[in-house]
Amino acid sequence: MAQPEKKKKPQTQGLRIGVYVCHCGLNIGGVVDCRAVAEYAASLPDVTLAVDSMYTCSDPGQEQIKADILEHDLNRVVVASCTPRLHEPTFRAAVGEAGLNSYLLEMANIREHCSWVHLHDKEAATAKAKDLVRMAVARARLLAPQTEIVVPVTRRALVLGGGVAGIQASLDLANAGYKVGLVERSGSIGGRMAQIDKTFPTMDCSICILAPKMSEVGRHRNIELMTLSELESVEGYVGNFKVKVRQRPRYVTDKCTSCGDCVAECPQLAPNDFDAGLSTRRGIYIPFAQAVPSTYLIDMDMCLNKEGIVACDKCYQACQHNCIDFSQKDEIHHLEVGAIIVATGMDVYDPTPLTEFGYRKFPNVITSLEFERLINAGGPSSGRLIRPSDGRSPEKVAFLQCIGSRSFRSNVYCSSICCMNTIKDVLLIKEHWPETEVSVHYIDIRAYGKGFEELFRRARMEGVQFIRGLPGEIIENYKTRNLTLIGEDTLQGTIYRKEADMVVLSVGVEPRSDSEVIQRMLNLSQAADGFLLEAHPKLRPVDTPVSGVFLAGCVEGPKDIRESVTQASAAASRANILMAQGQVSVEAITARVNEDLCTGCGLCAAVCPFKSIRLEGEGKDKKAVVIEASCAGCGTCAAECPFGAIEQRHFTDAQILSQVQAATEVEPERLVVAFCCNWCSYAGADFAGVSRMQYPTPVRIIRTMCSGRVSTKFIAEAFLRGAAAVLVSGCHIGDCHYINANLHTEKRVRKLWRRMEKGGLDPNRLQLAWISAAEGNLFAEKINQLAQIVAKVTPAEIERSREYFKPKKK
Amino acid sequence: MKEVWKHIEPEHLYFCYECSRCTGSCPAAMVLDTPGPRRILVSCLYSGPNAVTGEESLWYCTTCHVCEDRCPQELHIVELLTALMNVAAARGNIPDKIRAVTDKIARTGRSVITYRVDEERARFGLSPLAQINVEEVEALAARTGLFEKVKT
Repeated sequence: MAQPEKKKKPQTQGLRIGVYVCHCGLNIGGVVDCRAVAEYAASLPDVTLAVDSMYTCSDPGQEQIKADILEHDLNRVVVASCTPRLHEPTFRAAVGEAGLNSYLLEMANIREHCSWVHLHDKEAATAKAKDLVRMAVARARLLAPQTEIVVPVTRRALVLGGGVAGIQASLDLANAGYKVGLVERSGSIGGRMAQIDKTFPTMDCSICILAPKMSEVGRHRNIELMTLSELESVEGYVGNFKVKVRQRPRYVTDKCTSCGDCVAECPQLAPNDFDAGLSTRRGIYIPFAQAVPSTYLIDMDMCLNKEGIVACDKCYQACQHNCIDFSQKDEIHHLEVGAIIVATGMDVYDPTPLTEFGYRKFPNVITSLEFERLINAGGPSSGRLIRPSDGRSPEKVAFLQCIGSRSFRSNVYCSSICCMNTIKDVLLIKEHWPETEVSVHYIDIRAYGKGFEELFRRARMEGVQFIRGLPGEIIENYKTRNLTLIGEDTLQGTIYRKEADMVVLSVGVEPRSDSEVIQRMLNLSQAADGFLLEAHPKLRPVDTPVSGVFLAGCVEGPKDIRESVTQASAAASRANILMAQGQVSVEAITARVNEDLCTGCGLCAAVCPFKSIRLEGEGKDKKAVVIEASCAGCGTCAAECPFGAIEQRHFTDAQILSQVQAATEVEPERLVVAFCCNWCSYAGADFAGVSRMQYPTPVRIIRTMCSGRVSTKFIAEAFLRGAAAVLVSGCHIGDCHYINANLHTEKRVRKLWRRMEKGGLDPNRLQLAWISAAEGNLFAEKINQLAQIVAKVTPAEIERSREYFKPKKK
Repeated sequence: MKEVWKHIEPEHLYFCYECSRCTGSCPAAMVLDTPGPRRILVSCLYSGPNAVTGEESLWYCTTCHVCEDRCPQELHIVELLTALMNVAAARGNIPDKIRAVTDKIARTGRSVITYRVDEERARFGLSPLAQINVEEVEALAARTGLFEKVKT
């Protein structure tokens, strides 16, 4: 974002601050007395103008700010409204358009952190809003104009996962003219969709519509397909990611014609994952007939040849094209990409823990994925529906819904695809074997999409019994292997015992068991249910909090094929927008060294998670130098420097201290000063607001980019000013948005705890909490807990800490 | 209603989406004519405890906890049923059979007649079951007000 640079130094004289208090309809105005807040703001020093408006983010709202900047010669703007995570860009743009540097804007979050979480205490909420505005004004006084740096964007993308979402995203980007690296863990692209027989609601053959797309990927000149590959490491930032991909060897060269002569000779057998374990494959195999690349591979876990010792060469002998090559080694691909699309997909729920249904105990209880393979013409039974126990065609089949979904005993969310999948499955049975008696035991049928209700109606017309209520348990006749379902038909109010030859458990969708690996490598956020979190659930559904990284498919939440494809195209489009521009501006929050104060001690360089600080010069001239392009702006260095020689722009010591001071102006003895990191805890507090989780009012949140920015100075200042308690909060260890900067947070807080203990202070008054963006409830809980701590803090204790934290005169 | 909520938090009971795995799992519902845990819970929530405290079938619950084990919403169904039985008892709403059992406990300290058990035990060379201190049981029952409730 380019803006006219005003060459004005930050000055305390001549400050003209404009304050805008937003009603947000009744969202804020219904709880907080916005007029009173604006009147209060007007009484603050340096405030030239303070008004309340209905919707400040609306066009008229923004126009008013622009007009006021010109008319009243404002040089700072404070907007008290929603979270800066939502509208800071909006207001920055507005301020910029009026000719003011966009970094001279400050926001006070009086919606997510105030009106929405204190719905029932209007007076206290109004008082808190005044405090938040006072804090914002204090910070605004010290804001300085900043210039954003512009970095180039590599016009090349990486797609992780070769399921239908990854395929679609790759094709879209490749067709738009970008080079794409597609990384797939297994031996072939295709993913879950390749395993499924038919798709709902149109009953298209799944592989028939997928295979053309797969081969298009295989032959596209813009796509570099890497199968048997996994992400090894990611470095860099938006537009400039350096990625390492490890590709495991196939042991079969691409000369392979997939004739299959080798397979007959291989002595080793393994369960076939593609058939959900219902069939076997050899040690050398092709995942499935339509696989891309259409090359066989050797499963080294099964192969007799280990560590380069050839104990068996039967496949080698059988191959007439000499394609077998046991000498292949892991290959590392180094890629430079501008955007990354994560489409790593999902797992299906394993119903073994639900012992009452007897999965794995009774052979004729199968999962819906196993059913897909059984009814698929390419499957182990060539599409003939048979019971696993005796190979007989079942006459009575029962489907059980919501297995592993909507339950505190498994996954709490609705998997959203199982209802329609079952309806499709029952229609397939009725289509091929109309005399089969089919029943569906459900809690609610969620046929919400286009064409879904029609399909549901068709299933009812085919005579499928829909019985409301799940059976409590399934028992088996050990001789016939027939099953009896015992349960209540809740609509009839009758208790039934129902015979079935075969039971299909309609299992739900789960995040990949190892999705954390990708999540950590890319610094993404994970929701409480394990799926990756989008940047905004409504307005940025395919973006992640990390710019340049996008989500597609089930990695973000349960989805059907249509939704996965839609999202994949959306993600490709978002990546395209980024790459088409060819450059991106980076927020001007990077670190800067004051060479006069720097002693060249190197503490900052040691804590920098991005290795962006270099020491240059020798002896007395040794100084720290920040590499601005790779500085991510966490501010950990600034918190570490004992000399105040390194500062984070836009989050300077003076700015943050001014917020602490403003926060503790009124009744500090009942107050919690909370430092929250932008990515997890501040977002978690926002989430508490969005979810209307109520917590006590005496908490004042100060936003830093990373908890690593929180210097012991800030905490000491809060106690010195008489705050009852301090909360330092960041991302969970291992999930830090800045690799591991929060380890330094922990170190500093521990140090302070020890100091407080030595000084006879209650260390409980300083709390450290790891709260993710999805853990609004945890945030509310923590504040409740802190309120109890605050209630116990005596005036004497506060006096003691004020005394203790008084700066010692040297 | 309040009497019941003295014993159990109502809030999470509203999690119930009536999948009826409780009733499907209930051994009493399999052999006796009872509405089952789901219907008791739902009528209690929507029509108030009065709708169910008069029902004799409430007392068929043996507190085996299978319904609770399998409840996908992890509701404390047995706690609710116990609370309902307590409320019913407080109102003197106790089936005769339960009265008879209570009476038996008061007199012998046991809910079943044990001479058969002792005969069986003797066959295996085991000593008869230990005597129960009936006075202690009485004292306990007196303190909890059990007898008064049963008598009315």
